[in-house]
Amino acid sequence: MEAAAMAEPKPAVSTIDRAVFEAFLFEEARLLDTRRFRDWMALFAEDGTYWVPATADQRSPFDQVSLFYDDRALMKTRVDRLEHPRIHIQTPPSRTAHLVGNVIVDEADDANGRYVVSSTVIMVEYRDDQQRIFAGRQIHTLRRSGDGFCIVQKRVDLVNCDSAFEAMAVPI
Amino acid sequence: MRNGGAETVADLVEPGRVHRRVYADPDVFELEMERIFGRAWLFVGHASQVPNPGEYFTTELGRQPVVMTRHRDGNVHVLFNRCTHRGAKVVNERCGHAARMTCLYHGWSYDTDGTLVGVPMPEGCAEDFRKEAFGLARVPRIGEYRGFVFASLAPGGASFEDHIGPIKSNIDDLVDRAPDGTLAFDLGVHRYVFNGNWKLQVENVLDSYHVPFGHASTVNKEGVQFARREGDTSGAKVVEAGQAKTAQSWKGRRSYIVGNGHGWTSNTALDDGKRSSPAFDAYKRALVEKVGAARAEHILTPRLHNTLIYPNVSIMGLNIHVRVIKPLAVDRTEINVYPVRLVGAPDEMNFGNLRLLNVTHSAASFVQTDDIEAFVRTQKGLRCLAPEWVDISRGLGAEEPDRELNATRGSAMHEMVVRAQYKAWVGYMREVA
Repeated sequence: MEAAAMAEPKPAVSTIDRAVFEAFLFEEARLLDTRRFRDWMALFAEDGTYWVPATADQRSPFDQVSLFYDDRALMKTRVDRLEHPRIHIQTPPSRTAHLVGNVIVDEADDANGRYVVSSTVIMVEYRDDQQRIFAGRQIHTLRRSGDGFCIVQKRVDLVNCDSAFEAMAVPI
Repeated sequence: MRNGGAETVADLVEPGRVHRRVYADPDVFELEMERIFGRAWLFVGHASQVPNPGEYFTTELGRQPVVMTRHRDGNVHVLFNRCTHRGAKVVNERCGHAARMTCLYHGWSYDTDGTLVGVPMPEGCAEDFRKEAFGLARVPRIGEYRGFVFASLAPGGASFEDHIGPIKSNIDDLVDRAPDGTLAFDLGVHRYVFNGNWKLQVENVLDSYHVPFGHASTVNKEGVQFARREGDTSGAKVVEAGQAKTAQSWKGRRSYIVGNGHGWTSNTALDDGKRSSPAFDAYKRALVEKVGAARAEHILTPRLHNTLIYPNVSIMGLNIHVRVIKPLAVDRTEINVYPVRLVGAPDEMNFGNLRLLNVTHSAASFVQTDDIEAFVRTQKGLRCLAPEWVDISRGLGAEEPDRELNATRGSAMHEMVVRAQYKAWVGYMREVA
């Protein structure tokens, strides 16, 4: 029974149109690209997490290292630091451009207001005469909140998650 | 440089200063690969990375690819990862399990102790070809202490005991924290690279002077850093509240040297009496159960912040981890940060350590990224031909013996440790093999 459930994901038929989820993801990308990190953080539920695994197909953040695994408390420390005038790794600051596409509503539970939306993300980052690209598949687990959604978990699986990175400062 | 006499290299280091070429000259780097990374005892990995027979872990010593294996008899081997036939790198995965290591090119296969066991179409081999002579080359010397595996690429030189002896107790300090008295390197690795010389990271691990300014973005308005240990609600006081001044308690940190370039800095002052969380408390109980209350108390009393085992590995006592420094080029370095699992500690304690290490030492962390920026800018600055010298004179002449610890002691705000590293550096570099 369980194996069958795994083999066939729940049909993601929702009363909510995919465009609504896309609009949410685009707005999130805009907050990151305009460095409104505090507003970005506010998209997360109080129990929300931001996770960028450091290995492909990583099953858990609890027994392997991650590039990012922030709960709201760590996220706040991160955002405080990003706003600090003496954050050397952001002097000069990064400029980024996110592109979010191939959006698929993987799971939709209208009764409980819980949705899983996956998409492909490409982020181009420019800083201090260097430009680089991050790309991967991101999975947003969303919870209905008022008229909109809040993020229960944002997971970004970078195609090069286990490579040796130059220092990173801004979230993907 | 390569053809220059021994005096030429030694001339790059003077009391209280080193020449910029030490960081910026590709010829100096080539000589380091030969004379330091080609013969010093280098940290390879931890035995727990190859817990079972047939398991392997690949890495580099200097620039040379090696594979650490566990053979059927339980022995750990460190082999040059190079087919003895035409030279291809044999094992291409970072870690895994293989009954045989087989070269992709012509299919020569090797046992996990390096023995050549298979050659396709052996009838074509030369008449005097002997398989026994074509095993994967073993590194000349290997040594292990409490799971920490070291190798030397030179058949001669200081013994493992001579090299590691003075710094063994710093390894104990970390390993003893595991209730079962052993570590496991099975939580993954943080990998990052920067455009800078490898010694910039080596020098940085014992540098407490940079913290108040270099890591200014990690402290709050009270000058206190975020919590970096499981069970703490806040971190160390680094800056005096409301003042652009190093905190008095931070200034009190000390550093120690014991020869061979090794050294350490004293612990970060935290309120250990108040350290508590469900995970930490459960861990403490597990430790007490295994080693007794008095011994546990001793083990949990912080004495060390960072330890450097020259030239390529450091151990951090605060956010516990082991850091391996891999030189790639004169201006390019890779860092590998391994979290350590305290075997016998509750999972939630090990997760607490892992979670905090993500925010202090991942490629996207709060602490290490500012250090990397400092390394990158130092490498850029050192392109300047003037001034020619880099100043490392803080506290010159202020060192004093610490008879209890059998070490030499100084303020961690000074640069005694860097001078000690260059003493070791010159020792390796001037000596023609």
